[in-house]
Amino acid sequence: MSTKRFIVIGAGGVGTWLIAGLVRLLEWKFPGSGLIIVDGDNYEEKNKERQEFTKIGNKAIIKAHELTSHFPNTTIIPVPKWVVSENFAGITAQEDAPKIKASDLIKENDVVFAVVDNFAARKIIFDTAAMLDNIDVFTGGNDDALFGSIYHYQKRNGIATTEHPVSFHPEYENPPDKNPGELSCQERAEIEGGTQLLATNMAVAALILGRVQKTIVQDQSPEETEIYFDLGLGKAEPYNRMISYILEESKL
Amino acid sequence: MENNQTGASAQPTSGMANLRFGVYNQPTNIAGKSVQQARDQFSKIWGIPTDSVAYKGKDKLDENYVIQPGDNVEFHRRAGEKG
Repeated sequence: MSTKRFIVIGAGGVGTWLIAGLVRLLEWKFPGSGLIIVDGDNYEEKNKERQEFTKIGNKAIIKAHELTSHFPNTTIIPVPKWVVSENFAGITAQEDAPKIKASDLIKENDVVFAVVDNFAARKIIFDTAAMLDNIDVFTGGNDDALFGSIYHYQKRNGIATTEHPVSFHPEYENPPDKNPGELSCQERAEIEGGTQLLATNMAVAALILGRVQKTIVQDQSPEETEIYFDLGLGKAEPYNRMISYILEESKL
Repeated sequence: MENNQTGASAQPTSGMANLRFGVYNQPTNIAGKSVQQARDQFSKIWGIPTDSVAYKGKDKLDENYVIQPGDNVEFHRRAGEKG
């Protein structure tokens, strides 16, 4: 079986639980693969309610250290940096908040997980992926209660299999928020984390893992491209955003 | 996409169409009504925001578009943001 390169951008409320599943999947389904964990943020005591870390410090480094000894068939690499756009004009090597351009991180055939907490960073990741020929990007997020959604963007041989999320989500085209990687330390510290719920974070991670199982492990089509869920209502609803399906829908 | 469907030439009719918003998905006898009327009918039940764009496939629908039998009309639901 081939090896993979999974890149998880954001090791927070969703990323923590998603990484736990992805590393197991790589270890047993794609031994010899790589798992890159990217996060410029630090784990603090206040994160303990929803996130799983054994120490205080940079999330990417701590998580990589935690996993390495348990999963010898997977190469786990921490990237303790904030992801920024190609147009970022600041200093990427800034010592207190190092950054990496998305185009220096994401390469052909990667499977990327954009589990950050803002639309601006997600847009940078999707736009970078759109420049490549073969790529999978999964994203997911939730609100402060029991609602959440996930999305799978895929390209094969230079052709998009599923729509870029901007086609259905104006919030990606004109993000109402800012990429933390492009803010000063002071501005970043002032961002409210909200009052997210552990159950919703874990549900987002589980839904993404389910899509990875179907579309990457089993190599099936990404028909359930976008899934909305509401744990309060006990509902989940899949939407087909495949290019071929959308064209037919528009003709009806 | 700017290929908006205004429905200006559509003839009012009746029949079943499908309405969707986030986790909600309901076939309903709504054909012949405009997008605006459909929104008014379902906004309180489903919580559809007044500025939520309606789509058929990838095409944005004008508020005056007359829903046709078999249409699959989706009101935009903002994606989950936090993670």
